[in-house]
Amino acid sequence: MTLNFFDQFMSPTHLGIPLIALALSLPWVLFPTPSARWLNNRLLTLQGWFINRFTQQLLLPLNVGGHKWALLFTSLMVFLITLNLLGLLPYTFTPTTQLSLNMGFAVPLWLATVIIGMRNQPTAALGHLLPEGTPVPLIPVLIIIETISLFIRPLALGVRLTANLTAGHLLIQLIATAAFVLAPMMPTVAILTTTVLFLLTLLEVAVAMIQAYVFVLLLSLYLQENV
Amino acid sequence: MLSRLVLVSASALKSSGALGAGLVQASRSLHSSPQSLAPMPALPEKGGKVRHGIIPEELFQLLYPKTGVTGPYMLGTGLLLYLLSKEVYVVNHETFAAASIGIVIVYGIKKFGPDVAALADKLNEEKVAKAQEVKDVAMASLAQAIAEEKKEQWRAEGRQALFDAKRNNVANLLETNHRERVHLVTNEVKKRLDYQIALQHLARNHGKQSIAKCITDLKMLAKARQAKATA
Repeated sequence: MTLNFFDQFMSPTHLGIPLIALALSLPWVLFPTPSARWLNNRLLTLQGWFINRFTQQLLLPLNVGGHKWALLFTSLMVFLITLNLLGLLPYTFTPTTQLSLNMGFAVPLWLATVIIGMRNQPTAALGHLLPEGTPVPLIPVLIIIETISLFIRPLALGVRLTANLTAGHLLIQLIATAAFVLAPMMPTVAILTTTVLFLLTLLEVAVAMIQAYVFVLLLSLYLQENV
Repeated sequence: MLSRLVLVSASALKSSGALGAGLVQASRSLHSSPQSLAPMPALPEKGGKVRHGIIPEELFQLLYPKTGVTGPYMLGTGLLLYLLSKEVYVVNHETFAAASIGIVIVYGIKKFGPDVAALADKLNEEKVAKAQEVKDVAMASLAQAIAEEKKEQWRAEGRQALFDAKRNNVANLLETNHRERVHLVTNEVKKRLDYQIALQHLARNHGKQSIAKCITDLKMLAKARQAKATA
């Protein structure tokens, strides 16, 4: 069985049991449930503080109609960021590298924003297809372009997250393999490669957090347009 | 963390229908804590002690009687060497990746750990301080209310003396007024009586004077007449 770098992205099953369910429920196990106490331990205090700050920041540009989405956005953010960060540990499977999962998040949520916009304020929602101040001859072309741009959004959301994480994981694997193979042969080059690996790991930590945030931020922007 | 999941799901299982009743009775022998929720049982001040970040202190205490201080370390080293030598764990490219992310995690925790803990403690402190401030303000305002009430009571007592003084003042004024009027009346009456006396004096003196004058006048007249008659 040849070494296949894409094996890490196969949905894991064991004795026919899909383990992705376990992988998807792991983030929720790691966060403590809020207790009935007035003063909590540090973990619970920090969790509460983080969720409050994040929700406040995210909902700042949204009007009151958009505030219904607060729980969805915050829980989505926590879920994605935990999945991404847990995937950086060795021998782990990252569910967000699966395009199916990310499209499963992106398409329904984007479609929900579009339908809300069409239902509540159809004129304004359609008006977004034409930016202000366009010269008259460009109008037909621009409407087509904007419609394409509208329909490409869910694709972009899903593929952005998938591609970033898959690429990151793949790079880590490749450079780690390079360092591993070079270690007995050319130790100096191996040390260089290990340095690159270390920097890449730092980058991947940042990317993991940023990609989750960007996903949720873009969804909130789409909602802002339509609500 | 996973033990907490077990506990939560175990309690959910206990309260579910089928196994619930039997499990509750059977597991009572395993209960160790007092099991009452009011007053809320106090949380421990600090979390469980760990060595090197992940290994609980209890393991070291467990092995201490038999193997002393170096026991767990020997166990760890032996385990690691066994896993490596028997190729139960194979060193591959993931090991490098694991080392990399391990360094990042350990560095992150060592550098930012105390600050994050301080932030969590500060959040809790602020909560307590806010409540304490409310309590202090309430107590201060109540104490001030008590002091002001006492002052009002003292003032109320003093008001009696004030009334007495005022009453005395009024009585004095009335007395003075009365005496003035009596004085006035006396003077007037005296004036009138003096007038009458003077009148009487005058009348008496005048009468006497007038008779004497009459006599002299008559004498003069008589003299004048005699002179006139003789002439």
